[in-house]
Parts: sequence; C-alpha cells; structure tokens
Amino acid sequence: MAHDDVDIAEGVDHQVAMVMDLNKCIGCQTCTVACKTLWTEREGTEYMYWNNVETRPGKGYPRDWEEKGGGWESEKHINRSVGEIPSQQDYGENWEFDHEGILKEGEDKALEPENTDPEWGPNWDEDQGAGEHPNNYYFYFPRICNHCTHPSCVEACPRKAIYKREEDGVVLVDQERCRGYRYCVEGCPYKKVYYNAVTKRSEKCVFCYPRIEGEGPDDEVHPPACADQCTTQLRLVGYLDDQDGPIYKLVEQYEVALPLHPEYQTSPNVYYIPPVAPPQHSEDGETVDVERIPRSYLEELFGEQVNDALDTIERERAKVERGGHSELMEILQDKNPAQQYRLEVFADD
Amino acid sequence: MSEIVRGRRPLLVAGLLAGLLVASAALAPLIADARPAREIPVEDVEESLADPGAEGWSDVPAATVPLASAPSGVPNADDTTVREVEVEAAQTDQRLFVRLRWADPSDDRSASSPRAFADMAALQFPVNATTQPAIAMGSANNLVNVWQWSATNNTQELLAGGPGTTTVFQQPEVSTQAARSTVGEGDGWSVVFTRDLDTSVDNRTQLAADADVSVAVGIWNGENSERAGQKAVSEWYYFPFGPDDGGAPFQTILWAVAGVAIALVIAVTAISVRRTREEGES
Ligand code: SF4
Ligand code: SF4
Repeated sequence: MAHDDVDIAEGVDHQVAMVMDLNKCIGCQTCTVACKTLWTEREGTEYMYWNNVETRPGKGYPRDWEEKGGGWESEKHINRSVGEIPSQQDYGENWEFDHEGILKEGEDKALEPENTDPEWGPNWDEDQGAGEHPNNYYFYFPRICNHCTHPSCVEACPRKAIYKREEDGVVLVDQERCRGYRYCVEGCPYKKVYYNAVTKRSEKCVFCYPRIEGEGPDDEVHPPACADQCTTQLRLVGYLDDQDGPIYKLVEQYEVALPLHPEYQTSPNVYYIPPVAPPQHSEDGETVDVERIPRSYLEELFGEQVNDALDTIERERAKVERGGHSELMEILQDKNPAQQYRLEVFADD
Repeated sequence: MSEIVRGRRPLLVAGLLAGLLVASAALAPLIADARPAREIPVEDVEESLADPGAEGWSDVPAATVPLASAPSGVPNADDTTVREVEVEAAQTDQRLFVRLRWADPSDDRSASSPRAFADMAALQFPVNATTQPAIAMGSANNLVNVWQWSATNNTQELLAGGPGTTTVFQQPEVSTQAARSTVGEGDGWSVVFTRDLDTSVDNRTQLAADADVSVAVGIWNGENSERAGQKAVSEWYYFPFGPDDGGAPFQTILWAVAGVAIALVIAVTAISVRRTREEGES
C-alpha cells in the first residue's frame, strides 16, 4: 500500500484530503453557496452551512464554536472530552426574505429578513478582525468537516450511525441508523455535524462523495463542489497517502499545510497554508519589520508548528526572489494545475 | 400441669410463640392484600381505556414503580430527573392498555431546534415472553420489544438486542395517547399505550399468553437533554397473565411464617412434655 509512512486511520484504504491556501481566500462565499445549492436546500437544512467561510479573528460559525468542547483528551484517543450542542442562535436563524415581492411584484421595501430581527448569523463579524489602524488585520477562513483520522463524532455515537468509510476515509452519517441523539454534534470539536429538526437526524459534509466517485450525470470524477467552484481555486483535493501528489508534499514533506486546532486530537484531513500578511506600518506609513498577524494568534489556531511552516514558506520565497527554484513555491502558485485535483490515482486499486 | 407452669424456659418460649402467632395473625390480612413485589395488576375492563383521561382508569389499581438512571456509556448518563412512575394496566378481551403517569413540570414537545429534546416514555417487553433478557435493551440472543412514545407526537415500536441496536418496526401495532395531567403535587404526563393482546408477527411480544409477561419502564426528560441511554429506568416488573397469579412472594412468606410457627409449637410442646417428665422422674 502506498501509505507506509503516512498516518491514516486503521481499516481505511486511502484517506481523502484537502489543502486550502488561506492566502488566497477573498471571502466571496462562492464555495458556501455551491455547497448550499447542492446539499442543504432541503427542509430542515436551511440553517446549515456544511462549508462556511468565517472571518478571523472572530467568533466563527457557529458562534464561539472553539469554546464548545468535543474531541479527545489526549493523543491516545481513549477519553473523549464531552462537548455541548450549539444553540440555534449560535448558528443563526433561518432568515426569510421576500425576494418574490421585491423582485417580481416591485414592492418598495428593503430586502431584509422578514421573520426575525437577527442579532447574529454566519460570518456576522466579517471584517471586524483585530488590531489598530494602520495595523489592523483579518483573514477569511473556509471550513468544512475535516474527515478526521480519529473522528470523535464517530466515537460519540452510541448507535454507530456515523462512520468513517473504508475506501477513502470520508465520514458519513447513516441516515437509516441515526436517531437524532446529537452526540456527534456535541462530540465534534469543529461543530461540523448539524441536526436536521425536520428529519430528526444529524447531517454533515459528505465530501461530495458522489462527485469524487464519478456518479454524476456525466460519469466523470469531479472534486467537491466547494473546491470546484472556488473563485481563486485555492483548494487542492486528493489523497494524503498519494505520495506523488501535492497534498502529500505540502503536509508531510514540507510541513507547511497544517491542521486546524491539532490539540483537539482528531487528526483532521483538511490542511491550511497559514496566512502571511504584509508587515506592519508605522504611524507615518513606513513599513516596519513586524508581522501584522501575531504569531501568537496563529499558534492558537495551528499550534506551534505554524512557526516552522511560516519560516519554510519565507525561506522558499526568498529563494525564488533570488532567482532560485522552489518546488514548494511552484505548488503554492499552482504552476501545474493538473496536480490540483488528484482523485483518480487509486482508481484501479 | 403445675410442673409445666413452674418450668421457666418453656414458659418463655411459649410466650414468644404466642406473640409471633398474634403478630402474624394481625399482619396476615395486610400481607394478603398487598401485591406480590414487582407485580403490575391487570384489571379486566369492558370498554377501551385508550384515552388517558377515561373514567374507567379510576377503578384500575396503580403500581408505583421506582426509577433510576440506566447504566450507559453516553455522557451524563447518571443525570436523570424522573424518580418514579405510576403504572396502571387494564385489558379487554382484545387489547392491553397501559397508563404511565409521572411528574414532569416542563412540557417538552418539540425536537425542532438543535438543543431541543422531547419528553419520551417507553415500555420494554421480552420478545420471548417466558424469558427475562438483560434489562438494558436485551441482548443479541434475547431480544426486547420496545414501545416508545415521544411528546413530538410520535410512537414507535422497536426491536433491540442490546444498547445501540434499536431498529424500528415499519408497521407499528402500538398506539398511544398522551395528555398533560396533575401528578402528585404538580404537572406531569399521563400516557396510555395500547396494543392488541394477540400478535402473529415475529419479534413482537405475544401478550395473549398463559404466562406472566415481564415489563420495564423508561422515562426521558427532554428539558434535561435526556435521550438514548441517558434515561430513568425501572427493574423488570411483570403483568400477571400466568394461570397462577401467585409466584406471589408475600403469600410464600406468610406460609413460611406459619410453618415455622407450627414447627416451633410442636418443638416447644415436645420439650415441655419431656421436661415435665424428667422433672417428675427426678
Ligand atoms: S471534523 Fe468533526 S464531524 Fe468531521 S470527522 Fe472530524 S470530528 Fe467528525
Ligand atoms: S470560494 Fe474560494 S475564495 Fe471564495 S470564499 Fe470560498 S474558499 Fe474563499
């Protein structure tokens, strides 16, 4: 098997993975809408964003999800830390707009939620960020289920209704077995399982498995919709254990693509290239040699690893600036678009 | 005779014995009235008692069944709130009616937001009525049939062979009716479960049986986010469908007391007689 020195879950043949380059996200929410149109326009799913893009620093979606517990107590994966279920207000209500009236019947009123006067919602704190002018900062943060190697959502379910599938490690909720207990919702530290109050079952990102299996009308393999539709094409999709692919190189070889909150111990398979912002400015607009996004904040998100990752990126970039060649920079600049989605490498297994 | 009266020990024993007999005579009517432990009497009725507010329920005796948190691996498993449930049962020729009444001040009928859980109640029966499966949802080779009511207005009939194995019957034969009601001092639920006594479906408990049928109760308080294994449950109780309503432990105790008393009388008499003789001989 190809993954001798790659750590993937026991009993799983290959592990799907995604790398997102945070330096390229413009917060356009095209991914969010692509996902929503494809998966969560059914009754009961209105409030769900399997793919969401939040603004950092910020409270995220659902609000303050990082304070709601879940995950494992240690890397031994024996005891889970019990989490809580976010409230409907933390996710944001399902807003109803009168598109019909305004656009078709020409009603003269503002396009705003008709059913509620919202005080919170997904990406509510957009552009708030942190820091003082002229050194304020923020960045966008797209999130999906991490299809973790040690998924605490799976462990939390007393009915084994949520499982990590053997062929590619995608984590799915079996809608037949689920009885809506929501232990997965509280057990996932990323809060990426959602309760559908109409079907009385939990749902989550399916990594667009019918697309990666080529089960669509054109019988072709497609990357997940969020990646496919991304305006800046910042997502790489493939298998972590595909050692010839860019994901393996970024995660395992260069160690510049990092899991979010590794201390939750679920071993995510979505990885991020940490953001590098322009340096700070002095009062009179001079560039000073201080990083705009404090390392301490990035360490909160990605752990201490982020320091080595940023140093490596910096070093490789400098190399290119001096006229040298850097495989890492080529990958990050998508010099070889054919490598971006490598979903058929194990097709003959 | 005078010798016997003089003998002090026989006198003492005889005194104790008399006391015991008087005591058991006094207790006898009480004990005879008391139900055997863990029996839930089933009253014969003419009319349907499907409505929890039906007049007829006032004539049906209630068993107060204590509840405790079920042993379970789910988080907060020992945090349950309902301590007891009143169980009443009645049958017509065709159907069994079981009414559960328990105190629960908060009326949780909806599971329609991420944090909302509805109140629920369940009755558990062994699929094979003559056995007594593991109390926690049975086991792989000794299944249980569960009738589950949810305040979302949903009734399900389930089959389980151990925790986490629940499957739903596609055509439930159980129906329920529920109402908020005064239970004890405050508000609570009154829920009637009803099903035909006779069933011909596999994995469904046959109630038209000539044997006692075990039954256990489970209650979930939605307000406390109780669901799955976080629930208050009873031990196994039984409906006395058997030919001999006994098996009755209290009657057995009564007969045992009487037996011991008789044996003691004989023994004391024998000893006294022997003593008297010995004293006479000396
Ligand atoms: S991110 Fe959450 S839902 Fe997704 S696999 Fe990991 S623990 Fe489970
Ligand atoms: S589509 Fe791409 S650029 Fe736009 S928000 Fe999503 S991840 Fe960011």
